[in-house]
Amino acid sequence: MRPIIKRIWWEQIKAVIRLEMKKTFFARRGLWIYVVAALPVMLFVAYAIATANQQDRRANIAHQSEKPLAYQDLAAVKPGMTSQEVVAILGKPPITFHWTENRPPETEKGPSIEVLHENYHYSDGQNDLYLDFAGGKVESINIRQGNNMGQDSVMFAGVFQFFFLRLAVFFGCLGIFMNLFRGEILDRSLHFYFLAPIRREVLMAGKFLAGLLATCTIFVTSEILQTVAFLWHFSPSGRDLYLYHNHGLEHAAIYVGVTLLACVGYGAFFLVAGMLFRNPIIPAAAILIWEGINPFLPAVLKQFSVIYYLKSLCPVAIPTPPGMPPLMALLISAADPVAAPIAVLGILAVALVALYVSSLQVRRMEINYTTE
Amino acid sequence: MSDRMVNDRIVFEDVSKFYGEILGVNRVNLSIPPGITSLVGPNGSGKTTLMNLMTGLVKPTRGRIQVLDYKIDDPENLFRVLGYSTQFDAFPKGLTGFQFVYSYLRLSGRDSGTAEQLAWRAIERVNLVEAAKRKVAGYSKGMRQRIRLAQALSHDPKVLVLDEPLNGLDPLARSEMIALFRSTAAAGCYVIISSHILHEVDVISDQVILLSNGYVVAEGQIQNVRSEIQEQPTQILIRCSRPRELAAKMFEYGHTIEVSIHKDERGLLLKTRDADRFYLALNDLAVNGIEIESIAPADDDVLSVYEYLIGNEEVVR
Repeated sequence: MRPIIKRIWWEQIKAVIRLEMKKTFFARRGLWIYVVAALPVMLFVAYAIATANQQDRRANIAHQSEKPLAYQDLAAVKPGMTSQEVVAILGKPPITFHWTENRPPETEKGPSIEVLHENYHYSDGQNDLYLDFAGGKVESINIRQGNNMGQDSVMFAGVFQFFFLRLAVFFGCLGIFMNLFRGEILDRSLHFYFLAPIRREVLMAGKFLAGLLATCTIFVTSEILQTVAFLWHFSPSGRDLYLYHNHGLEHAAIYVGVTLLACVGYGAFFLVAGMLFRNPIIPAAAILIWEGINPFLPAVLKQFSVIYYLKSLCPVAIPTPPGMPPLMALLISAADPVAAPIAVLGILAVALVALYVSSLQVRRMEINYTTE
Repeated sequence: MSDRMVNDRIVFEDVSKFYGEILGVNRVNLSIPPGITSLVGPNGSGKTTLMNLMTGLVKPTRGRIQVLDYKIDDPENLFRVLGYSTQFDAFPKGLTGFQFVYSYLRLSGRDSGTAEQLAWRAIERVNLVEAAKRKVAGYSKGMRQRIRLAQALSHDPKVLVLDEPLNGLDPLARSEMIALFRSTAAAGCYVIISSHILHEVDVISDQVILLSNGYVVAEGQIQNVRSEIQEQPTQILIRCSRPRELAAKMFEYGHTIEVSIHKDERGLLLKTRDADRFYLALNDLAVNGIEIESIAPADDDVLSVYEYLIGNEEVVR
């Protein structure tokens, strides 16, 4: 039986990938892609550094406390307690300061009232407790939690969905895949490929795989570095807890998988766009808008989008802030998520449709540099 | 014509190509045999369009093209028998001359060893071995021309399409390349060359295709093309013992239009409306005592035919 894919096609695809690698990884016009991929890593590194500094500061404050404190001690303070009652529970505060507030008079002609405010700052080494006393009684309590895995993983999910997927991977794929054919046309070197005894579809497949290899390498590396930076400031026991008992490892693997699928989906979209449009801004804007309005589209149209499936695959749901209008809330949470296998198949199907259109287009392409 | 004969040729059937509203070529019918065929015409006459059509780089708006047994929309098979050295002077970035040819061969599916061997052989054929490991970006125009030629030749194609292949070459390289084209054609290949340089076309071509404004104005062996141009008198150079006497006798025949006697009084240039009748008359005169040393047509070269059919726009002699 004749094989569906000839052996020589694989050899040709490998030859195309070898030629494209240098261009996709080291092209001067593509250096910005590395910057975009590095931005979230830098964000998490900065966050880790800031958090580590805070931890040092908390440890310092806890060290200065009269007695060792636990979170339960910090939580035991209630509004209305006197400063003596608080000191009885937590000891003398390591950090205090006070100020006087001039409150307006209670009657029109009465004198203004001076209220003495005292602020106490305690720490158990992990969390901060800020207390505001007014007139000797606790008026407000603010417990700022230190290592909160839950909050941090929601923050990671937010950065992943709203910056990494929608901007970094999106524009990175645009930069690489749109240039696979368009860049060659601008450089007037596409005829080199078109003069070789290679099927145009095989050439297209080779170029797509080369683009995929480049984007996957760049963005999966970025994703892994983000995870490392994200986990950096946790204690070893906290890291183990997150990775092995709170699905952290599973989530990290899913994020890598979603990144790979994003490269496949957006890559296929931008490959075909690079063949159909001379100016990349038009299709980029169109696809960006299409992906942006996806939550508001009817169910049938939603399926022709990459972000629809990617959002469904993301492991951590981002809670909608209270009071947010329902339409805005749609942007954050997937109102009608699809099951993971369907989402994966959906992205692959969307990519296959785009690749099929590309294969038709590449057969029609002519070398006519003067009109470009 | 039998199918076998059709498949042995490069065939254009009523081919037209328009770029929007701009005419590339129109209603081209050609059947190109093996040997060296030159495409001749001024800039914009359609030479490169014809070559790009032949190699599938552009698609015809109308008509059918077949290169031997292959259709032009089948690059996988077409370029196994066809090599094209284009006029496009851009190369994939960062490649050396060797890598340029080698990568082309790898693209065609050849293994590393074979590709390396074929690449070096092609580079040797164009005398570029010493520069082969240098980046193409640093090549001179002539070297770029030669490395493109090496790429086109590297897989031993049956059909070699060369767009202005002698541009940028020095005289020595020109003669080497012409020898290469001749040896390739002598091996039974189809060598299609476009050129502005008419004396070189004249020297190397087995047949010519004259193009003007997108139309084929003449095709075939140059002598046959010349003989078809009835409105221009044929010019014949005769070396003989008594040129003035011969001239006087020739005017007695009605077809002679003009005669010029050579300065050395040993020859004459004659213009006649009917070459066949002239040769018959010359036989009579030779029998009657005028000693004829040699007879040679003076205007059955590409340059003359080009001037008669196209005019002398952009001719490089």
